[in-house]
Amino acid sequence: MVDALRETHRVLAPGGILVDARPDSRVFAYAERTKARGSQRFGLVSTSRAELVNDRASDGAIARVVRDGLFKRRRRGRFWHRVPFGSLAELRLYLWEHLRFVRRARWVVDAATRQRYSNDRFVIRRAVRYELFEATSPDRRS
Amino acid sequence: MTTNAGKSLGDVGKHVPATSSALRPRPLDELRSWGGEDLVRGKRVLDLGCGDGRFALAIAPYASRVEGLDPDEEAIATARSSARGAGLRNVRFKVGAAQRLPYRDGVFDVVILSWTL
Repeated sequence: MVDALRETHRVLAPGGILVDARPDSRVFAYAERTKARGSQRFGLVSTSRAELVNDRASDGAIARVVRDGLFKRRRRGRFWHRVPFGSLAELRLYLWEHLRFVRRARWVVDAATRQRYSNDRFVIRRAVRYELFEATSPDRRS
Repeated sequence: MTTNAGKSLGDVGKHVPATSSALRPRPLDELRSWGGEDLVRGKRVLDLGCGDGRFALAIAPYASRVEGLDPDEEAIATARSSARGAGLRNVRFKVGAAQRLPYRDGVFDVVILSWTL
């Protein structure tokens, strides 16, 4: 990853911008039932252990190239993205097949409630984080 | 670099199937969250890990030139086909790895790693 980021710095003009955007594994994703107004939280969804390791590696690589003086941190933020599902079964299948998440949600409603609303529409609401970096000019690198 | 990061070097070039991009945020929504179209307007942009090109194609109308690079040959073929279909002349796609970028020094104003790192 560090090699790729060094290459990124090489092809960027001095002062150019690097954007790193990816799902934010530092916070839960939420399984929510869509209501006419608003939503009802049904469960919490964690990131899989393997992806947490990958994300930490990515963070480490970014920190390394910043420390090496290739990039300066400029701005960061987060937004929420909703993945829609036609039923609770669809949502469960998605979790089961999606490598990024653990395979099952941690439900915060009881089984009877899940059954009652199983054919409603659901979303997984997850955080996406981004950070913008400015490429330093080669002669300013440490 | 940490041990974990060191291990991950073996994964460089890994990719997820391009079809999964359909479940990602809409490109222009994502761009808006980063600061909007001005970030790429009139710029030379590299979309690194571009997959099927959905992001590169979406920003092409604003950028002066967009290059997309991905190790997935099938995804790049899809991206090229989409670019042709959309009549976009300022977008090019290449198969390649992020560790050896097939571009000269300093040729981009913006590099985007959207769900890539």
